Order: sequence, then C-alpha cells, then structure tokens
Amino acid sequence: MVRYWLAGVLVLLAACSDRTSSTTIVFAVATAPSMLDPRLASDAASERVNALLYDRLVELDEHGNPQPKMANWEAVTDRRFRLHLQADRASFWDGRVPDADDVVATYLGILNPRLASPHAGGLSHIDAMRALDAETIEVELSHADPLFPARLTIGILPAATARQPHALTDPMGSGTFAFVQRRADDSLIVRRRSDGQEIAFEAVADPTMRTLKLLRGEANLLQNDLPPELLDYLAGRPDVALQARPGTTFAYLGFNLTDPVLAQREVRAAIAHAIDRAAIVRYLFAGRAEPGESVLRPEHWAGADGLQARIYDPERARRLLHEVGYEADRPLTLSYKTSTDPLRLRIAHVLQQQLAQVGITLQIASYDWGTFFGDIKAGRFQMYSLAWVGVNSPDILRYAFHSVSQPPAGANRGRYRSVVVDRLIETAETLSATQAAVLLREVQRQVHEDVVYVPLWYESNVAVSRGVAGYVPGYDGNYLALENVRRSDAR
Amino acid sequence: MTRLMGGVLDTLVVLFGVSLLVFLLLAVVPGDPVDVVLGESAQLADRQAMRQALGLDQPLPVRGLQFFHDLVRGDLGMSLIQRKPVTMLIADRLPATLLLAVSAFAVVVAIALPAGLIAARHHDRWPDRAVQAVALLGLSIPNFWLGPLLVLLFSIGLGWLPVSGNQGPASLVLPALTLGLSMAAVSTRMLRASLLEIMSQPYLRTARCKGLGEGAVMWRHALPNAMAPLVTVLGLQLGALLAGAVITEVVFAWPGIGTLLIDAIRQRDYPVVQGVVLVIAVGYVLSNRLADLVVARIDPRISTP
Repeated sequence: MVRYWLAGVLVLLAACSDRTSSTTIVFAVATAPSMLDPRLASDAASERVNALLYDRLVELDEHGNPQPKMANWEAVTDRRFRLHLQADRASFWDGRVPDADDVVATYLGILNPRLASPHAGGLSHIDAMRALDAETIEVELSHADPLFPARLTIGILPAATARQPHALTDPMGSGTFAFVQRRADDSLIVRRRSDGQEIAFEAVADPTMRTLKLLRGEANLLQNDLPPELLDYLAGRPDVALQARPGTTFAYLGFNLTDPVLAQREVRAAIAHAIDRAAIVRYLFAGRAEPGESVLRPEHWAGADGLQARIYDPERARRLLHEVGYEADRPLTLSYKTSTDPLRLRIAHVLQQQLAQVGITLQIASYDWGTFFGDIKAGRFQMYSLAWVGVNSPDILRYAFHSVSQPPAGANRGRYRSVVVDRLIETAETLSATQAAVLLREVQRQVHEDVVYVPLWYESNVAVSRGVAGYVPGYDGNYLALENVRRSDAR
Repeated sequence: MTRLMGGVLDTLVVLFGVSLLVFLLLAVVPGDPVDVVLGESAQLADRQAMRQALGLDQPLPVRGLQFFHDLVRGDLGMSLIQRKPVTMLIADRLPATLLLAVSAFAVVVAIALPAGLIAARHHDRWPDRAVQAVALLGLSIPNFWLGPLLVLLFSIGLGWLPVSGNQGPASLVLPALTLGLSMAAVSTRMLRASLLEIMSQPYLRTARCKGLGEGAVMWRHALPNAMAPLVTVLGLQLGALLAGAVITEVVFAWPGIGTLLIDAIRQRDYPVVQGVVLVIAVGYVLSNRLADLVVARIDPRISTP
C-alpha cells in the first residue's frame, strides 16, 4: 500500500515539477500573462509581455506621440492612410520577414466578429485594408480620424495564424524576445533574440512571498504591486536596487452626478478641498506618487498643463458645505465604495478621517473586485475610487466624459453630461493633433472646473532588482527595458 | 449491492445539487461576461453578438439545460480569458493540487496518529497538555500567516527550502506542512477524545487483566475502535484539503486549481470559476463517500453503503 502511495506521489511530482535554469533572470509578477495572442490580450500583464514578443507598426512615446516602429505612414486624405513597412524591420523567429499581407491579416483578423477581439471596438472605423505591394498597406476609414496611426500598436502575427478566428496556440512574432515555453504553472519563459538570455515570468500573487523570493535569490526582478512598507524595507537593503519612476497610473475619486447630493458642485468642491493629497502621498505611498490634476499627464501631447489644484483647505470646505445647507446639526453622510485591496482600503480610511474633519461622514463599503466594478458600472454608488492604468491615448476623454459614453457604452461612470465637453471632443476628433490638443486641453479644463471627479495622484512605477543590472521600469509600467537587463555576475 | 447502488444514486443526486447551485450562483453573481471578453469600449452590436454567442440572450432555464447537457458530455465550456477549454485548464492544474492534497494528508496522518495516541495514553499529564496546547495553536494560526512564517524560518533563515513555486520535491514541503498542520490539530483532538472514550470500556480492562502491555492494549484494541470517527473526519478533511488548498496555493504560488480559481475570480472568467468550484465540490463529495465506505468496513455495525 505504502509502495503504491509513494509511486503515486512520485508520478505526480514528475508531472508537476518545473525547474528554472540558474542563468535565467526571474521576473516575479503579481499576475501571469494570460493571453499571448496580441489580437485578444487586454490585461496589462499580457500586453506588457506581448510588447516583447511581437513587433508593432507604431509605438507611442512617453508623450503619447506615435512613432514609427515597423512602419511609417502618410495621410493620403483625412480618411485614407498609407503605411510603408521599414526596410530594417525584424524578422519573425522562423527567419521570415513580415510583409504587408501579415499586417493586413492581423488587423482584419481583429475585426473578424468570430474572434471577438477586445480591440475591435477601437478599430471599427476601418472600412477596408489592403496590401498594395509587399511593403505598402492602404487603410480606408469610415470617418476622418487624424489620430489613426496611434491606434496601430497591436503586435503583428504571421498571416496564416492571424486569419484563424481563434486564439493562437503557438506564439510567433518578430519582437525582441522569442517565446520558449509556457509551463503548467502558467509561468512563461522568453529568450532575448540578441544574446539568448532567458527571462522567466513567474506569477506570485502574494506580495510578501514575492519579496521573500527576491531576498532568497529565487527572483531577480519585481515591479509594482508592493505595499509601501515592503518597499521601504527593500529600499534599506544594500543588496537590493530600488528605482521609482513617475508613472501614468492616475487615481481619482469618482462621484455619481445623478445623486441629488453630489449633483451639487459645491459639495464636490468641498470634498476636493477636504482631502489632503500630499499627506496621503507622503504617508501611504512613501512619496512614490505625485499629485495630478488630469487623466493625461501634463507632458502628454494633449495634456493640460497649468490646471489649478484644489488645495487642502478644510475651512473652505466647511464654508462650501455651509452654502448648500450642511452644518453640524445637519451633517452630510455619503457612501464610498472600494475594492478589498489593502492599500485601497487604507486610503479609504484616511479619506474617511479627513472628510470627518469638515463634517462629512463617509461610510465605507468594500467589495470583491467584480461586485465593486459591477456596481460602479451600474451606477449603484455615491462615491468611489479607481485608477486609470497605462493611459496614453486622448481617446480616454471621450471614453470617460462624453455623454454617450455612459456604461455599458463607455466609462463615463459618473454619468456626467456637458454639451460643451461633448462638442469639444467631437470637434477635436476631426482635427490634426496640434489643433486637437488645444480643444482636448479645454475638455480637461472644463472637467476640472466642473469637479466631475477629484483628481488624486499619478502612481510611480517601482522596480526592485537583485543580482541584475540595466533594468528601469517603463513610464507606463512596460517591460521594454528587459532588452537591456543582464545578470550582474555576467561577464 | 443494492446498498452500493443506493450510495451511487445518493452521490449523483448530491452532485446534481452542487452543479445546480454552482450554475445558479454564477448566473446571479454581479458582472457581465461580455465585458470580460470585449472590454468596455466594445460596440453595442458586437456586445449583442457576443451575448448571443455565449448564449446569454437565452432565459435562465434554457441556459441551465444547456449547462447540464454540456456537463454530462464533460464539456465545462471555454475560458473567456485564455480561450481554452476549461477541462483542459483544470486537467493541467489538477495533478499539482492532488499532489499537494495527498502530501498534506500524509502530514495530517503522520502527526495526528502519534500525537493523539500520546495525548490519550498520558491523559491529563504534561504530554497530553503539551499536545493539546500545540493542537490549539495549530488550529488558531491561519494558513496565510503560517505559510510566510514557515518560509521565514526554513527558506530565509535556514535556507533549506525554496520560498514558493514548483521547482521540484523540496518546493512541496512548506505548502504541505502549511496545509496539513491545522488539519492535523483537528484530527489529533478527535483521536484523543475518541481514544479516551474507548479506554474506559470494559473490554480494555479485560485486555489489561489478561496481561497485555499498555502499548499492545492501545495499538491492538483501542486504536482500531477509535478509528471510525477519525476516518470520518479525515474524509471530510481530504475534501477540505482540495478547497483549503486555494489559500495555500496562492500564498506559495503553487500551480494547482486553487491559483487557477483565484485568477479566474479576479478576471471574472466565469466558466473557469464554475468548473473549478464543481471539481472541488465533486472532490468533497467523493472523499466523503470514500470515508463512509472505509468506516463501514472498519465497523460493520455502521450500515452506511
């Protein structure tokens, strides 16, 4: 009996064990990349890895400007674009150089309803796309979109794969890394094409265990998703390198504008003046965040520089509440929904305490992510807090503030309605980037003026490394610096 | 034979009930699978088409019938995120969970049997009190805290074992200990109580009068008779090990169905959640049935099929 039991255990062990080579650089991530098909990936973990595996026509720089990658482009008319593949583009891992047919198949594949791609919505105005020759592609749009090149950031697949209306099983790209293996534990091994260095992405959900793995040498790199106390601890260790870089993740406090209390601008402004953002950044983020005023960073080409911050002024907050009839004998009680994430809950309790100083009782309701997000989309809330992650397209302004973008048609979760803002967004969409930027800044100014939400902060991207050098976190949390990372014991 | 058939029928009824419950729970839980697949920026027409493709435009009873029709054929649907069959995802991960559960079960038995015997044999003396105190400690420490403590001691402090993941047999030790220790505490207390009750029985006095040593009395006469309640508890624990492994798997990044379940919940991958919950429930039911059969074999007076 014991023999059979032992034999069973050995068989299971053999089936389950996976060893990582000692020369491999291990990147411990909170979430494993779940989808290696760039047409279907929409979660941040997958998109960051796919950016390593698949080359793209265009990439966005730190200011959100499209830059030629595999291709440059020319606007033939306001609805027709011609894309020219670069002569020095990288080959697929099998040695074949991607051509126009691959590009067309990838984008038309995304638009195939049978594939059900989450990227189809943003490309739905492509009327036609055809290869003029092996190096040139022409795109016809149903309406003018001067910013169209910025949408061409999806990884290119070989045509034969891209025509399949289902998720690819064998990744094949022309990125700087090649796919090696997807292990049973969902960890992923990729190989740098320039020198053969292998990188393993291992999912470790628990931040403490991720940190312990780093300290024991089982992992070399961590990025984000670490609580500030762990970061402070790691920052004090001489064998660990910690780098923080300004990020694009923008946290905000949202209001339900259909709520009779929060429909009053004075109440929203009072809340904005009652929140001491600097203290939260200092104590809860240990300085690894910076107060922000708009979803697009001021450095973005459409970013609104010079928006006047609503400074922390409890006296002014009390005065504003007094103007709309809220006093000590008629206190204001509001509900605030958040997720179960420990940091978000901690922030909620600080907000509760800060709002109490001006006479607002905040009732915190914390739910699992699905319930919380479902409630927000359904409009079942008074106040909530969320963050926009990796935003670098001005499309976010239509998506979050246009009247027609109320869920499920978009992410105007506060149900904001403004004829002025709608008109500005619609007009901007027909103009060149330079002209559009002026109107888009005006949109952000108007949204800020209307206190549609309380802007909180941009969260920094933090990378922690041990035993490796050359890695810096990307501005939007991307992993592109893995192209330069090396083991520090390597010659 | 009739009794056995009755048992199988009972099991099938329970499994049907569990499946129905899982289906209904997932049907009423907040969140829209269409959002998961297409994202918030999808066009209305695409959303409607996807709703139709997923069968979500059908009334609940129709969806329920379809679910059971697929289930009978072993089809648990397709993952919304990974776009792979759920059965395939579960089949990939189940061996790791079974390995962890079996190892943790071995920890439970290896600790509970000697500890329970020692406690009962030295009733109300210091070994009994020590065992009870340790058992209480084991019951009181949650897995998500015990795991990192063990890691701090054995991985960081002593450097003997890996922190997490699955890098070979050594990786199994800490998750199995974490999962097994608290359950061992329950079994130890159960065995001790059961032995103490049996030790006051006249037939043990007779055995002693016949000149048998205390060890032989305990091992040959007391333990076999104290096993029935312990086996029942172990059966429950074996099922609970599958469910309880969820937390431990997440803490140790163990690649089993627990981490698959948590990822699926986070990503609102409903078919995967449904499939994993069903597998855990089936594991629970089957392990209990197995325990019933073993108890009936140990003590024929118990007429459970």
